[in-house]
Amino acid sequence: MKTNNSNIFKKIAGIAGIPTATLLIMVILCASQGVKLFETEGNWILFFRAAASVMLTTFALSLNLNSGRFDFSIGSVSLLSSVISASICIAMGLPTIVMLLISIVSGALLGMISGAVYVIVKLPPIIVSLGVALFYEGLAFAITKGYGVSFVANGELTSFPSVLNYALVIIFGLVIFIFIFDYTQFGYDYKALLSGQKVSVNTGIKEIPNAVGCYTIAGALMGVVGFISATNTGTIQMALNFGSIGVMFTAFLPMFIGGFIGRFCNEKAGYLLGAVTTAFISLMYARLNIDASVQQIVTALILVGFLIYLNNENKIIELVMLKKFVKGKVQ
Amino acid sequence: MKKFWALLLTAAMTVSVLTGCGSDQGTNETESETGVQTETTGEEAQPETEAAADLDMSKTVKIGILVSDATSAEALAFRNYYTEYIQKQYNVEMIYSDELNDAAGETSAIDTFITNNCKAIISFSSFDRAAQLEQCDGAGVYYAVATGTLTEEEYETYKGYEYYVGAIGPSLDVEFETGYQMAKHYLDQGMTNFAIFGGAIPYYTEMHIYRAAGMLTAMVEAGGEGANYKGASDAGAIIGQIFADGEVTTGEIGTVNVMGYVGGYDMDDAWFGKCAQMAQTPDLQVILAVGNGSDFFGTAIAGTDVKIASVDAYASSYGEAMEAGMLDYLAGKFSASIGPVFIATYRAALGSPIRTADGNALALSQGYWIAESADDFNTYYAVDSSVESPAYTKELLDTLLTADYAEFEQFVNAYSFEEIQGMN
Repeated sequence: MKTNNSNIFKKIAGIAGIPTATLLIMVILCASQGVKLFETEGNWILFFRAAASVMLTTFALSLNLNSGRFDFSIGSVSLLSSVISASICIAMGLPTIVMLLISIVSGALLGMISGAVYVIVKLPPIIVSLGVALFYEGLAFAITKGYGVSFVANGELTSFPSVLNYALVIIFGLVIFIFIFDYTQFGYDYKALLSGQKVSVNTGIKEIPNAVGCYTIAGALMGVVGFISATNTGTIQMALNFGSIGVMFTAFLPMFIGGFIGRFCNEKAGYLLGAVTTAFISLMYARLNIDASVQQIVTALILVGFLIYLNNENKIIELVMLKKFVKGKVQ
Repeated sequence: MKKFWALLLTAAMTVSVLTGCGSDQGTNETESETGVQTETTGEEAQPETEAAADLDMSKTVKIGILVSDATSAEALAFRNYYTEYIQKQYNVEMIYSDELNDAAGETSAIDTFITNNCKAIISFSSFDRAAQLEQCDGAGVYYAVATGTLTEEEYETYKGYEYYVGAIGPSLDVEFETGYQMAKHYLDQGMTNFAIFGGAIPYYTEMHIYRAAGMLTAMVEAGGEGANYKGASDAGAIIGQIFADGEVTTGEIGTVNVMGYVGGYDMDDAWFGKCAQMAQTPDLQVILAVGNGSDFFGTAIAGTDVKIASVDAYASSYGEAMEAGMLDYLAGKFSASIGPVFIATYRAALGSPIRTADGNALALSQGYWIAESADDFNTYYAVDSSVESPAYTKELLDTLLTADYAEFEQFVNAYSFEEIQGMN
């Protein structure tokens, strides 16, 4: 009974420890400057938007990265899919929900093309994804003649930002992602391929359709990210020469945090909590008007510190155990 | 047989590499001075006017264009004017660089232009202007600065260089005045609660710092007796203070209040959060942007009485924002403003450089067109976006082909919309 309770406590601490500790630290930091972390509706909207956007990006990145496929093109998929959906909706006067659907479909299609190129040319995924990123950035530039897309004055298409809508994106995104990868044949095949590709292929699992499927799903997720970003300001700024790659880097910290939390619960829920953690940090940056250079240093320190911990976890535990042992002996 | 295919492949690749260099041009074949056949525009060059008759404009002149920004409304408008108008009116081929990110990129791009037999380079990139100038001078290639100016110190150093054509664009004084007039426009209406978007101030971009300093100086003047910005009450001290801080500090300037400030272009969640937070500050009346404001703050102020004032170019999206009440004031560069620097560069490449009375390179300043209403905007935009009849037409520019310095200077100084329309 005692062991069970201890396990449950460990599980809860493992799941909630990092987000709760982060929230506390952020609240204290803000309070020290006489600022409330959550004060207005705008603060809540920022928090939920960051959590939704980062969670979906983390899903998209981890999906291929866990299989050894480093995909630099996800940012460009997000850019181009939002350009396509916004352009169509502006031209035809379509509502926001249609823009979301077109973003998902076009993102999935672009992801599928990216995956198809990878399996056809059989080059390392890093090289392929860099080429695809340049191509999609160029395509977005050509479609908009470089001007990007602006619909600041379009009240309908900029009506999406709200706590409820972002919360729905988070819930649907998480449920669908868990369903696909934990409860379908595609997900079983994906996991089998993760644990041993050669054995899985020998048992009849087709790795090529699975890889293309992963790219397609990642593309659809990034379509939603592009939609969230575009409807936030009503503008889509162009990116050239790998300018879209930065989106990918927002997902590394939550992915590592999510991977750690995933030891205690479903890994996808871990990614959500990782995204929530980084959303707390983003909100603190905004509330305290922290300079971008300071933000980068803090984020880098957190990331490096976390990686150092993960890589030396056993040694740290051993050290703590040793200290306890020595203390016990002395007493 | 293998050798044959290897040779054929090599030849094909060589041809494709050679033809791949250059720009998006027409297809007329012209022979360059080196005798190498190159694809150049030459396409619809118009007949010379009488004024230009003395210059030999029969050969296509290649001009390299250095750009550090390929996606902003301003950059696209400038490019459109050169490629869609100038290049079709004059016997020139414009070759654009990639979007440059640093001084090393500028050096590499200039090398490429020189290899491509460019006779002159017009620079929109300012990572290291001194290095660009030295490189061009060393290679015997004419060099000009568009939409910007050298610092006084730089000008003193380089004004006598044979291959330095000069700089035509808003001087730092004009940038200061632009910010000053923008803030004054609202202060004169009795508004006192402002927020400032500092754009590239954190990166110490001079023109943005000067615009912000102009805004703050206007506030100090309107703030009543003893009003000051962090102890500074004159333009020079305010400029120095912003340079020292790398940002604008919020607070009261006498009776005027700077309620919020955001700088940089981080474009991440935290940055957009800062923008929304600033735009939604209670009692805020005006957001003064040193650059583009409506794109970043437009949706955040929707449904409020907050006004946005920006400095940028004349792009259709700003017209929509003005119609919707999201943009209230625009100080915009007009795309044809780069016409005179083209003529100065072209003349130099044709062997008729224009110099000051002292024989020095040009250093001329231009300003902005100010739109205070959607009607103003639409009037200016109709002219600015036209590739058939832009602000500076060929007929107007041709008058500069044989102009002396005084005439050239007078032409450039008459940059307001009304003055230019009066010339036509």
